[in-house]
Amino acid sequence: MFTRVGLAVMAVAASAASAGAADTSADTTLATAFLKSHCLKCHHAEKPAGSVRLDDLADFAKDGGRWLAARDQVRDGLMPPKMERRPADGDARAFVAWVTLQSGAPAAPLPNQGNLIPHELLFGKPAAAGPPAGRVWRLSPEAYMGFAADLYRGKIAAGVVQPFTLTPERGIKDFAGLYAIDEPSAEVLLRNAEAIVTAQTAHEVKDGKVVGKNDAVREFLGLMDPAVAPTTPQLEAAVHAQYRMAIGRPATPDESDRLLRLYDLCLKTGDRPGSARTMLQAVLLRTDAMFRRELGHGGGRRILTPPEAALALSLALGNRRDPWLTAAAAKGELATREQIAAGVRRLLDDPKADKPRLLKFFREYFEYAQAANVFKDKPTAFAHEPQQYVADTDRLVLHVLAADRDVLRELLTTDKSFVNYGTAKNKQTRLDEPKPAVVTPPRRDGKTGVLTPIPSVEAAYGFKQWEPRQPMTLPPGTRLGVLMQPSWLVAWSTNFDTDPVRRGRWVRERLLGGAVPDLPIGVVAQVPNDPHRTYRDRLAVTRAELCWKCHRQMDDLGLPFENFDHYGRFRAAEDVVDAAATEKNIDKKGNPLGAVHKQVSLVTTGAVAASGDAGLDGPVKDPREFVKKLAASARVRQVFIRHVFRFYMGRNETLADAKALQDADREYVGSGGSFKALLVSLLTSESFLYRTGPPGPKEMK
Amino acid sequence: MSVEHTRRDLLKLAGYGAGAAALTPMLSQLAPHAAGADAKKFPRRVVFVVQSNGMTPGHLVPSGVARPKNGRPGNDRLEEAALKGRTLHKAIDALAPFQDRLALIQGLSGRIAVSDHSANHGCLGACPANKGPMLQTIDSAMSDALPGVFPHVALGMPDGAGNVMNYRLSAAGPGKAVPIVCSPALAFKSLFGSVSDGAGRAAFDQKTNLLAFMADDVTRARGGLAGEERRKFDQYLEAFEALHGRQKELLAKADDLKKHAPKLGERAASPVSSIILESQFEIAAAALVAGVTNCVTLASGGGGQSFGKFPAFNIPDLHGIGHGHAYGRPSSEECFVELRQFHVKLIAGLAKKLEGVKEGDGTVLDNTLIVYLSDSGDGHHPSRYEWPVVLLGNLGGTLKTTGRHLQFPHDQSKNHRTLASLYCTLLHAAGKPRDSFGVNDPAITQCPQSGVIPELLA
Repeated sequence: MFTRVGLAVMAVAASAASAGAADTSADTTLATAFLKSHCLKCHHAEKPAGSVRLDDLADFAKDGGRWLAARDQVRDGLMPPKMERRPADGDARAFVAWVTLQSGAPAAPLPNQGNLIPHELLFGKPAAAGPPAGRVWRLSPEAYMGFAADLYRGKIAAGVVQPFTLTPERGIKDFAGLYAIDEPSAEVLLRNAEAIVTAQTAHEVKDGKVVGKNDAVREFLGLMDPAVAPTTPQLEAAVHAQYRMAIGRPATPDESDRLLRLYDLCLKTGDRPGSARTMLQAVLLRTDAMFRRELGHGGGRRILTPPEAALALSLALGNRRDPWLTAAAAKGELATREQIAAGVRRLLDDPKADKPRLLKFFREYFEYAQAANVFKDKPTAFAHEPQQYVADTDRLVLHVLAADRDVLRELLTTDKSFVNYGTAKNKQTRLDEPKPAVVTPPRRDGKTGVLTPIPSVEAAYGFKQWEPRQPMTLPPGTRLGVLMQPSWLVAWSTNFDTDPVRRGRWVRERLLGGAVPDLPIGVVAQVPNDPHRTYRDRLAVTRAELCWKCHRQMDDLGLPFENFDHYGRFRAAEDVVDAAATEKNIDKKGNPLGAVHKQVSLVTTGAVAASGDAGLDGPVKDPREFVKKLAASARVRQVFIRHVFRFYMGRNETLADAKALQDADREYVGSGGSFKALLVSLLTSESFLYRTGPPGPKEMK
Repeated sequence: MSVEHTRRDLLKLAGYGAGAAALTPMLSQLAPHAAGADAKKFPRRVVFVVQSNGMTPGHLVPSGVARPKNGRPGNDRLEEAALKGRTLHKAIDALAPFQDRLALIQGLSGRIAVSDHSANHGCLGACPANKGPMLQTIDSAMSDALPGVFPHVALGMPDGAGNVMNYRLSAAGPGKAVPIVCSPALAFKSLFGSVSDGAGRAAFDQKTNLLAFMADDVTRARGGLAGEERRKFDQYLEAFEALHGRQKELLAKADDLKKHAPKLGERAASPVSSIILESQFEIAAAALVAGVTNCVTLASGGGGQSFGKFPAFNIPDLHGIGHGHAYGRPSSEECFVELRQFHVKLIAGLAKKLEGVKEGDGTVLDNTLIVYLSDSGDGHHPSRYEWPVVLLGNLGGTLKTTGRHLQFPHDQSKNHRTLASLYCTLLHAAGKPRDSFGVNDPAITQCPQSGVIPELLA
């Protein structure tokens, strides 16, 4: 019964080895042994469990579907079943990695599926390298508004609205493969183009002369006189000006000729200014205005062209074309990897260069900004200001990035925090000075009129007094790092409760590189609403066999954060309803007078299991010990780098990106945890700068 | 948003698969029935109204019909009550003038779309709620059956985050979310602006020229691209081609468009939710009457936690009323009723407008169906064991909506039916029958989840 599997597996191994894949016969033997030890007992010919046979598996080319199905069951912890002997974590990982390798490890399309490529294949093997195929990438919503601003001297023309939308899923959102431009969006683009060109050509007629209004573009004004036919050079100058603003280069002669023909066509039934405006609008709708092109020049392995590299780098870090990079590209100075590296460093070191996508990565990675979207009953006894919590964490991230030392470790374990941080300009010195961003007024009792002070935002961090010297050092033994910022804790909470399951899922996916399957269709995941029990106690429902298959990957990672309530406040005990006292809390007529609460002791322990880092696995006593362990893990660091890769590349990693990832990790470690060094490495990597495959369209070279 | 399948792919598939796609015998038999012998005489139209935050089943219960105070009805057989002689619940009493054209449907389950607050695409797709646009939703499927110049007009209101489009309720296919346009100004310009904004024929011609130029421009750019990258440009090209093609059709209907274009004035740019919805309903009515579309989706909030806000009614947070906030009223139920009343008045106003337009011996309303439901099923935190639906109109006589309250059997009964079966029924009525819709609920094994609900077909 087993012979066929053994033969088949050996055949697969031979083909993989001949293809140069990073596979060894040792891996193959291990995978075969795994199948025999953990699968074939039930999935055999005589009485196959679930009607699934695995004893007759042929090689991957013939039986890929079944191999992948077996892999997914093992990867998601659904098989072997609970009553069977559990495989060693390392063996299961090796099996998953081996099958993935046979499949060629195609990149999953969605951002949250990136971890489906086993970590071991990217960091545990000698690095493979190979540039990706050429691609086009629709502008992000922010980049579109940057584009619009570039067309009108940094302002957004009246009437311009956002045409693009991103996936509502949590996490990294802007992947190149996800978005095109559909009909309704194209219609918005048309209207925006009309609004922008109307602003660009705003004018009035004084003494018979066309005079520009506001920030009209000088080259366009000569086309706005209905009585005077513009000259061809005037039309061409206008086209070139619009091309420079929209696409970052002048038009080619062919492009210019086509636009002038459009002008002539419009002139047959319309007036001169209207025809000119139509011609100028066309430039704003071009594919090379709406899409980042990353195709390179020619066929085979090639580097991005200088204009492509300039835009790619500009939009990696910001939302607008960087003028210096655009100018450098025009001079051909972004033609080599060294020149591009110099450009990246210059951009990163320039304090005046706007780099909003640095913070944006951390917002999408940690997702603390979701705090503002979690609806909670407004408390009367204390302030709950999620938007300020988010602003405080933004400020903390920027503070850590400014120091640029041990960035991930600092973000996970710092004992500093900005607290209700705002600024106001000192009228005398004209300098910005710290001030509380939110001032919570005292609450007035409706009957007595007595004013009661309400603890403001600083109380959520554990402070009685706000201090101007920021960041403040957090009260010892309470909270450390971003995962214990009120913003993150609220973002990963529900309307009425904490949310250890999704907190644990976040840790599993974003720090440990694991993949948790989605909630099975038809399963109603609900924690009992028993207010007299702690949340940890109520969450025990997930220990049922059916649930625990998946929840064992999450719950114990999220439970240490029960050290905080769902408003993000530190607590040493949990408040629950005292059922017995509530039952007795009645008036003389027996009517209930309301719930009576009591404090019960809080358990903050958790555990790490099957992380892929033996040094990380084991129990943790509280969230502070937990984040310190996480911050010390090489695997956590590498998983973080995988997420940085996804954000800046706009795609999931593949096996061919292993070198870029390993190089980035090496640079990060070697630089003492510099995020800048990490970015320079990634943005000058083969994965970012080079392309392969057939040449792009002729017009795009 | 996704580019999985463009129209070009679908056309190719249709070409290759025309033979394979032949109707099954059962569908073949039903199709002529559904289409009706004279159904093509006048266009038939459908409007889906989706309101956020759930639809309380009690709001659909007329006087004299019993419903358990707590829990769900436990009937094993369909229970029907004629609405004639009964009083509608105050939440929907604005529909009283159309009482003999209603079917108030209770007891259909939609557990496959279980989620908190909104089923997202699961509401109109009868599919899981949190897997994005995984299949074509019923409104889009109906637009295939009832084509128009604008095949599918989807209008809504903004979510407060500045998004002009809502991509979370409707889909044209797997990965192809249908954008719901949440700006009346934008919707008006799309539907009526080209010929009625006073810019004149010259501007219209210039736009036509621009669209033709852009189609050519994108065609040049896509040459040399392959696979997914080419597909992205294909979709952009199709957008310009479709917009260009539509210019001619709009020109042919210019008189009708001018005649029926709503006079929105400053309301078109109002940020007030109630005014935005009123404007969108006016635009929808005008588009149907002018004959530029036969399928409309009107969404009041919906998707994720985008409930919408109605501060003008002193209901600033719809999530809040789901958690008991009453905003000065005796209970949050008063808020739910007020909001229902507002939406039902809009629906009644739409029906009245359609009823006021002659079509043959009848009116436009005679050939129209309005489907009213919530993306959150039966409540703010829905069970979705029942998903209340209001049908108004009979779609050219193909549906039996003669003033009926229908309580379908509970979800464990062998006579139970699901939302998916209702959608199959609508497609049969529209003449493009499907035998199954959405994703089956694995928890339902004792009753069919495919096929029509015969009690609803005329």
